[in-house]
Parts: sequence; structure tokens; C-alpha cells
Amino acid sequence: MAITDSVIKRLEMWILPRLAQTPVVSIYAGTRGWPFVIAWIHRFFGILLVIYVLFHIYTLSFLETPALFDHKMKFFRFFLFVLLEWLLAIPVIFHALNGSRLVLYESFGFRKDGLMIRRLLGISVAYVFFLGLWMLLGNQTVTPLFFWLTVSIIAVIPVYLVTGKIWKTGMPVGWKLQRITGAFLLISIPAHLLFMHLHPSIGHESDVVIQRMQNTFIRFVDMALVVSVLYHGGYGLLAIAKDYLESKPLQTACAAIISLVMTVFAWIGIRLILTV
Amino acid sequence: MEENYDLTLIIHRYDPDTKRSWKQTYHLNAGRILRFVDLFRKINEEEDPGLAWNSSCEHGQCGSCSVKINGKPLLACELLVENAVEYFGTTTFEIEPLNVAPVIRDLVTDIEKAYKRVDKVKPYIIQSAPLSEKGEAYSITPDEMAPYINATRCINCFCCASACISSHRGFLGPNAMLASIVRLMDPREMEKIERLRVLYSDQGVCRCHSSHACSFVCPKEIDVAHFIALAKEGRFGSKSQKK
Ligand code: SF4
Ligand code: SF4
Ligand code: FES
Repeated sequence: MAITDSVIKRLEMWILPRLAQTPVVSIYAGTRGWPFVIAWIHRFFGILLVIYVLFHIYTLSFLETPALFDHKMKFFRFFLFVLLEWLLAIPVIFHALNGSRLVLYESFGFRKDGLMIRRLLGISVAYVFFLGLWMLLGNQTVTPLFFWLTVSIIAVIPVYLVTGKIWKTGMPVGWKLQRITGAFLLISIPAHLLFMHLHPSIGHESDVVIQRMQNTFIRFVDMALVVSVLYHGGYGLLAIAKDYLESKPLQTACAAIISLVMTVFAWIGIRLILTV
Repeated sequence: MEENYDLTLIIHRYDPDTKRSWKQTYHLNAGRILRFVDLFRKINEEEDPGLAWNSSCEHGQCGSCSVKINGKPLLACELLVENAVEYFGTTTFEIEPLNVAPVIRDLVTDIEKAYKRVDKVKPYIIQSAPLSEKGEAYSITPDEMAPYINATRCINCFCCASACISSHRGFLGPNAMLASIVRLMDPREMEKIERLRVLYSDQGVCRCHSSHACSFVCPKEIDVAHFIALAKEGRFGSKSQKK
């Protein structure tokens, strides 16, 4: 890690002064510190990802009519969409790694925050680069069952560690579930992105998708993804909303709306997984 | 190093009688080691006796002079002109009251309202440990005190609360949580459950997003986020535990 850290440190010495001069960042980096700027980026990316997930579930719902799905998916083969799909890796990996940094800080007593931020940026850049490479290669084959079994086994580790660490604390249950789902998504969402770009047909051809979803284990993993991501996103949105809504009734109304939207999308997703 | 600076101070004003808010610009020539409270006084004496601002100790000990300067919450009695010019890289400073409570006039906020959040956590020993049989005062050893001594330096200036990403809507805020955590770490305090209930309530630590802005701005250099994280980690027990 020493070489990586020194490379990242050099990059940082080059990037930070330049970043610190950009309009909005310059105000907040100097008056609240870089972790505050990162907290805002985390929020912003979180909101972006919630919007994307809802859109994603909506587009997947076309799988009920395979011909329509294939027709819609043609758009996603245009260069611009492929580029956007690649760029999606930036908020995904940043939000995932920064979230794990927060969990390490809050629940595991890791206080070397500067070092963690450096590593998170380094790993994010590497991930986005490798995902791009994956997408360019675009002809990998692996059985879905093997891939998702491996990923699930790996994902169980952070879930187990985080649950063991936080479950007995006095923090509210909703907060704990946010962390636990986060631990699961930390591995499974970046893995989902990699899986989807192993080969263009994996995510774009209805027969390939439908055939994959006939496997009970894959169905189970997909349902776990849908439920975790919607809970995690919903709780995150509510946490942000609470910072701006003072009155209890407004907070309750907001919680009700978010729960309703997330439940509807969870229902669409689960119904699709169980019926295609 | 310059001896004097030509400064521009853009101060947010508020007149409670007319409910009018405006920004007023003052130009002044000031020595490099004057503090911002000295600049306010200079304005009162030379230009505008009507400008209202707050201070008491003027030694960074009471927390009453906190304002936002170019967006950063800090103590006006601690900031020297030369340090401000160096830190912000400008001789123009926009000065606002802290956004932690309603403004009474100009740079003066209703600190009693802000204090209500601190009062909620009962920043005193609720139930004291029994004295020794000889009736001597309870003593705390340096080792016992070491983990939280920094937190005891809080002067409730509310700079951290003003900087916090979680805003102030129904959230206790960093300094109120810190006040409770200090007592949780204090071996003299016996009433832990009541404290934990407030700390783990919907207004407590779960509202903190670990953005570290509190630690960044604290004029007493308290790592507030560290203490809040200790509560999240469950270091002080759970609210349902037996006494
Ligand atoms: S923790 Fe620091 S910034 Fe916050 S009120 Fe106390 S002294 Fe001020
Ligand atoms: S660490 Fe928590 S309490 Fe401190 S500024 Fe950030 S959100 Fe507020
Ligand atoms: S006047 Fe007391 S801290 Fe500034």
C-alpha cells in the first residue's frame, strides 16, 4: 500500500489545490473541510443513484414483454449510453467506498480519515478504469450462478462484521439496517456493474436475462438487491429530508411518501423477478 | 509583513423594529494584530455606533463572539487581521451572524434559543456518584480524564452547530451531543440511561452524517466527530441496559 499511497499523495498535491479553486468547492473546503465536501458529494451521488435505480427498475419492467424490452434496449447500445453506463461507475464506487469509510469511522474506530479518503479515491479510480476495460473487452463468459455465488459469499463478510458490531448499540433499528444493507451493497452493486458488462448480451437481451432469472439462487440474489437498494436509498433520502424539515408532521408525511414510492418499486421489482 | 491593511467589511445587518435586513459595507484601515472584535469596536467608535455585536471575555473563553466570516464560523475575538488575510487570501470579509438561532439584531443571535438544545441534554451531573466515606470531594485521576479531557474544553460557541451538514432542524447538534457525551464519560455521573435515551433518540447521534465539519471549525480544536462516533460505536452502553 505504501507505493499506492505515495502515488495518491502526489496526485493529491497536484489535484487538491486546483480543486480548491473551483467555485463552490473553494467555499466549503476552506470553511468546513474536505470531509464536508465529500459528505455533500456522497449525498449528491446517493440521490443520483436512487433516481437511477428507480429508472432501472422501470426499464426492467419491460421484460414482461420481451420484444418491447429488446426494442428499448437497442437505445442503450448507442455510444452515448455506453459512455453514460460507464460513468455510472463513478457515483457507484464513490458512494460505496465512502459509505464503508463512514462505517469504519463510526463503528470500527478507524480514525485515520485522511488516509481512508486517499485510498477510497485511489480504489475508485482503479475500479472505474477496470470497468472501462471490461466493457471494451466485452466478450467474457462466466456462469451467472458461479459469479453470484462467489459475490454473495464475499458480500456476507462485511454484512456479518457490520451486523455484529452495531446490532447491540442503542442506535435506532432503521439506522442499523441502513448500515447493514450498505455493507451488502458495498460488494454486490459494484459486482453487479461488473457482471452486467462482462458481455453486452447479459443486460441487453431479453432471452439471456430471462434465462438467467430462472435460477432460484439468482432470483434470491436479485430480490435481496432490490430490497436492500430501495431500503438504503429510501432511508438515505429521509435522512436528508429530515435535515430540512423541522416539523414532525412534515417529517412523517415525507417518510410516508418515500416508503410508498420504495414499496411500489420493490413490488414491481419482486413481481418481475418471480414471474419472468 | 504589512503593518496596516485596508480592509472591506461587508456586514449583515438586521433591524428588528423595521424587520429590514441588508448588507452594509465598511472600509477601514487596521493594524495587523487587531482582532475582529476590535474592528467592530472601531466601526462603533469611528463610523457607526448602531452596529450590534456580541462579546464578553474577549479571550476565547465564553463563546459569545462567534460569527461567520467568509462563511467560516469562528470566534471574532480570536481572529487577527493578519491571520484572516492569510487564511482567506483577501482583505474583503463578509460577516454574518451564526445561523443557529433567530437574529436579534445585526450580528447578535438569540443565544438562549440556541442553548435550549444544550439544555435538553442536561449538561450537568444528573445523579452524582457517592462521595467517599470521609466526605472528600470525588476525585478523577488524570488517566480517567484523558479520554475526554479535550471535550471538556467546549465553550458552547455554537460554531460547530453552525457548520454542521445536518442543519438545526430537530437535531440536537454537535455541541449539545458533546455536552452529554462528556457526562457519559465522566465517572461521577451515575445517570447514564436518561442520557443515552436522548442521545439515541431521533434528534441525536443518528442524525450526524460524520461530515467532520464540527471538528474542522471548532476553535477549541476538539475532535467533536470523534466523540460522536464513540456514541455510535456503542461505547457508552445501550439505552435499555440495567442501571
Ligand atoms: S465543540 Fe467547539 S465549536 Fe462546538 S461549541 Fe464547543 S467549542 Fe464551540
Ligand atoms: S460530524 Fe456530525 S455533528 Fe459534526 S458537523 Fe458533521 S454531521 Fe454535524
Ligand atoms: S468574547 Fe468570549 S470567546 Fe470571544
